[in-house]
Amino acid sequence: MDPAVSTEFLTRRFGAFVAVDNVNLQVAPGQFFGFLGPNGAGKSTTIKMLTGLLAPTSGRIRILGLELESHPVEVKRQIGVVPEGMGLFGRLTGAEYLNFIGRMYGLDRTTTARRAAELLEFMQLVDQPKTLITDYSHGMQKKLALAAAVIHGPRILFLDEPFEGVDAIASGTLKTMLQRMIARGATIFLTSHVLEIVERLCSHLAIIHQGRLVAQGSLEELRAGVEAEAAAGPAAGSSSSASAAPPGEKLTLEQIFLRIVGGTRAAQELSWLG
Amino acid sequence: MIFSGATRGQFAAIARLRWCIFINSLRTLRGRLEMVSKVFFTFGFSVMGIGGAISLGVVSYIFVTKTNSEWLAALLWVIFVSWQLFPVLATTFTEAFDSTSLLRFPLTYSSYFIIRLAYGALDPGTLIGFLWLCGICVGVVVAKPLLGLWAAPVLLVFALLNLLLSRVVFAWLERWLARRRTREIMGFIFFLFIISFQFIGPMMQRFWPESHQASQDTVAVASRFLPVERALPPGLAASAIAHAVDGKPSEAVGAGALLCVYPLAFFWLLNLRLRAQYHGENLGEAVAARAAVAGKPVVRPGLSVPGFSNAISAIVEKEFRYLLRSGPMLFIFVMPVVVLLIFRVTPGRSGHSLLSHTADLAFPIGAAYSLLILTNLVFNSFGGDAVGVQAYFAVPVRFRDVLIAKNLAQASIIGVEMLMLFVAVCLLFEPPTFSITLATLAGMLFALLVSLTVGNILSVYSPRKIDLGSMGRQKPPTSTQFAALGCQFVIFALGAVTLLMARYFNTIWVAAVFFLVLAAIALAVYLAFLPRTEKMAMDRREIIIAELSKT
Repeated sequence: MDPAVSTEFLTRRFGAFVAVDNVNLQVAPGQFFGFLGPNGAGKSTTIKMLTGLLAPTSGRIRILGLELESHPVEVKRQIGVVPEGMGLFGRLTGAEYLNFIGRMYGLDRTTTARRAAELLEFMQLVDQPKTLITDYSHGMQKKLALAAAVIHGPRILFLDEPFEGVDAIASGTLKTMLQRMIARGATIFLTSHVLEIVERLCSHLAIIHQGRLVAQGSLEELRAGVEAEAAAGPAAGSSSSASAAPPGEKLTLEQIFLRIVGGTRAAQELSWLG
Repeated sequence: MIFSGATRGQFAAIARLRWCIFINSLRTLRGRLEMVSKVFFTFGFSVMGIGGAISLGVVSYIFVTKTNSEWLAALLWVIFVSWQLFPVLATTFTEAFDSTSLLRFPLTYSSYFIIRLAYGALDPGTLIGFLWLCGICVGVVVAKPLLGLWAAPVLLVFALLNLLLSRVVFAWLERWLARRRTREIMGFIFFLFIISFQFIGPMMQRFWPESHQASQDTVAVASRFLPVERALPPGLAASAIAHAVDGKPSEAVGAGALLCVYPLAFFWLLNLRLRAQYHGENLGEAVAARAAVAGKPVVRPGLSVPGFSNAISAIVEKEFRYLLRSGPMLFIFVMPVVVLLIFRVTPGRSGHSLLSHTADLAFPIGAAYSLLILTNLVFNSFGGDAVGVQAYFAVPVRFRDVLIAKNLAQASIIGVEMLMLFVAVCLLFEPPTFSITLATLAGMLFALLVSLTVGNILSVYSPRKIDLGSMGRQKPPTSTQFAALGCQFVIFALGAVTLLMARYFNTIWVAAVFFLVLAAIALAVYLAFLPRTEKMAMDRREIIIAELSKT
């Protein structure tokens, strides 16, 4: 079976700056895949390239076995995306927006209207029927963007920071929907800084740092790798207690992440903060 | 020193920030082009400021030397009104200054107050007003040098009260305009104001008293308001100077003292507003709690455009929804009919309305006017979509279809406009002849196709986010405006050549046929450019998304 997402030497440069550097990713169908990295690591750039919002400088992208560059329309028909900034049309109502997006994905008018109504109800957006999206709260906009991304029943869903700025209730609604999609065989590719949620939801992970893929595998595989490295000797810049597990306990995703990207150095140097 | 080192550091930091923003804006080609156009605008403002100052100086000199110094009030009223009106229009037409961005820093209240005042002191209205006052002052000094010692402080107080009043108005407007709905209501009021303004001239011509007696009656009524006028700032400032000219020092000082009450009052009002802001008044949008709607939502299926795909229909429907929710767009939409109405009510030389003898011209004139203002919509097609433009690149639809759908919506808008104009011409003047109607429609078709071709390229090459809900925020980048102007110039030049040919052959049918030939060529060019524009859009998608996603 073809992987859901695969990239070969995926690279994106902005002038002299290399945002994504020879990334080789493999995401199997049905995986809940977490794509992690510090700020500016290249997560959003990668997701934009995988969804056709940004052209790669070099490298190949295959989605469900199809080359993205030569089959953009066919690929986009199979995927849904909640991009950075959500990409909503502010001067439409939620229902009008879903009606618009469903038809853009090729659904007929009746099916679009029916699914839009169901999604609005599921996302608890029914009590704002005449409100323009521009007047929605951030959480409501996130829920609507997710509803728009799934209205055509995509086989792969790309989510860029879906839980950012979302309250606990909305977050619960989003998680329920994503878990249902996974149960039905869809693949989800998500970036998030909320590592607790990623740890709970994702079966497989990849970590990108300074444009390069530095780790990839299941949580257990990453944990084993970090522990093996720790046994061989501490990684440079990652000796803080924040990234060490208490004796007898498993390393959390946050600890694994910090061990891999070495993110505690700067805080230690700012002694004047008191 | 008045300010502490920390406060001076904050002022310097803000000045440096403005400088950095300016310098960084020059990094891109578009930024540099914007800079060039700003230089042109600055030149225009300078001419207006310096020219106005010289004229006002000369007139002041005449008033003072001819002992008509109380007429200085007329000049000061001009300055007063323009000084206050300019920032109001600018505020309504541009994004309100977000004072909360300053309040997160440890600024003292006095620093905050001064910064807000400084922002006002640097706007073009204030600078021009100040220049004009300088002109008056110089005129007075040249006429009576010693009078300058009194006129200068009076005019300085007048300048200060204008500055403070404009800031007071701005601060209150800022509060009202912080919310989208209020902004749109204010925009609508301005829309009515601007339309009403167009009718002042024709109405004055029609109803202005012609007999000597009627004129005297009008003057008598107006003179009843003189005491009120003399109690207002321009009247007081003029009185203070005029009394000094007439050798009445006590009256002059009295008027001057009363004049000083105004800046103090405005200072108090401004202080009230800014203090509220300083203490954390929330001016932002807030989603009001609404009662939950019971039951399942009912979503009606979208509209279908016969002969076109579902996706194209969806985009056309979305474009029409945007149009119907945009006050400024509707304003643009009705303006050609309003212009015809103005022609109808404006009396011509023979007492009949303008165009009454050449009613055949009404339809082409209306069409040309609608072309001038409506085609502006096509030169920045994606500006209103803002961050939503990402959807066009994310969905499984070829970008060419997106362009076709947008163009279809724009062409429909022009079509409806033509229909409205035709009905208006029939009702206000007389039905245009068949040949004129056909020639006009053929000309419009040609102009539309050229505009759509150029518009698609410019929309993709140089997009700019616009706010469809607020007046004056629909302008594309200045470079696009120049290109659009060039395009319209070519269209009108070809139109003029065609009309000259029709005149030469003494039949308008020549124009109709020639325009149809031009339209056929324009259609071929439009179709040829579609794939190229699509490729350009795909190559520039990242720039388009980034530009339209700017907050």
